[in-house]
Amino acid sequence: MLREGLADRGVALTTVHTVLTRLEQKGFVLHDDARPRRFSPRASREDHAAELMHEVLGRSADRQAVLARFVGGVDADEARLLRELLAGAPADDAPRG
Amino acid sequence: MLPATAASLAVLAVLLAWPVPALLARAGWPRRDPLVALVCWQAVGLAGGLSMIGALLVHGLAPWGNSLPEAAWSVVTGNPAGDAVRGDHWIALTLAGVLAFELVGVLVLSGVRTGRTRRRHRALLELVVRPSAELPDTRLLEYPAPVAFCIPGARPLLVLSSGMLAELDDDQLAAVVAHERAHLRERHHLLLLPFVAWEAALPVLPAAGRAHAAVRELVEMRADDVALASLSGSAPRRTLARAIVAAVGGAGGADVPSGALAVTGGVARVRVLRLLEPPSPLPAAARWTALASAGLLLLLPTALLLLPAV
Repeated sequence: MLREGLADRGVALTTVHTVLTRLEQKGFVLHDDARPRRFSPRASREDHAAELMHEVLGRSADRQAVLARFVGGVDADEARLLRELLAGAPADDAPRG
Repeated sequence: MLPATAASLAVLAVLLAWPVPALLARAGWPRRDPLVALVCWQAVGLAGGLSMIGALLVHGLAPWGNSLPEAAWSVVTGNPAGDAVRGDHWIALTLAGVLAFELVGVLVLSGVRTGRTRRRHRALLELVVRPSAELPDTRLLEYPAPVAFCIPGARPLLVLSSGMLAELDDDQLAAVVAHERAHLRERHHLLLLPFVAWEAALPVLPAAGRAHAAVRELVEMRADDVALASLSGSAPRRTLARAIVAAVGGAGGADVPSGALAVTGGVARVRVLRLLEPPSPLPAAARWTALASAGLLLLLPTALLLLPAV
């Protein structure tokens, strides 16, 4: 699949193989010893995204310095309280004052 | 005898290390005008550091002269000290050096480390995100929980999760993107950097942590205000409030990674309350008084340090 996708880009197969070998050293892909030229990703795109989110949005406060998150998660009680606030407010924007 | 300059700077340093940040953190007016409050916090931080180091420096150099320029000139030209140099002078000088080195060092270190983490996270994210067709400059991430964030820097990255897209309607998404863009455009990460660093440098100072939390809350409110100004629709305040409530999770759907819970929970509530029941804006006179106080706060230690002693 990868070979077909890359065929019209003029990339040599050996180059692809070198890159995949390096990716394997970094733990991103795996290969089966029986079929040394078939590589598969170590984790699916979703798994990778989940792992990444865990790191990027991690628990420690210094993570918050790294990125600006729209809003952090809150516990269930706080979330219920916020929904109640929203439900109790008038439907239109309250007048200033 | 302690020179009057050193004494005044010491008093200023003590005031700025505890009562002033405590009052500012507890005051009600900052949420009426987050931008002015952010200016005040920067002034408090800068003047605090300046007066703390300045007081030690002026006291330590007292035997060479009564004011900093005079004493520094004597030391540079190799003039002998006028008074006897006692142990406490050396201690004050050493403390001044250590404190200056630590504050500046931690600031630089924290800036470098944060920048490195940002670059790494951006590189990892770029592997899995795809550009959004509807929202310009926005990347989408396949992830079930409603999450939105931006990584600031030279090449900022604004990411929305697929869970966010599923949870919010188009107006709410526009509000989220406008909020994140406001962070990027106004460089809020730079306003936060000194407070992050000083909390790390001075963990014994409760004001450092309180200041950090207050500034973090203020940049969120400021980003909300900027976002509201750019939103169309009949009720932008309600749209943004609903987006916040949807994004905090807990609706029985996908689990939202918490981040630092203690910090984020309070901020979300303050923001929603502020959106649903907007406080009246600060009158112009109060605005200018606050800005003038911030200016004076910076001018005072600078003047004490540079003007010749009376």
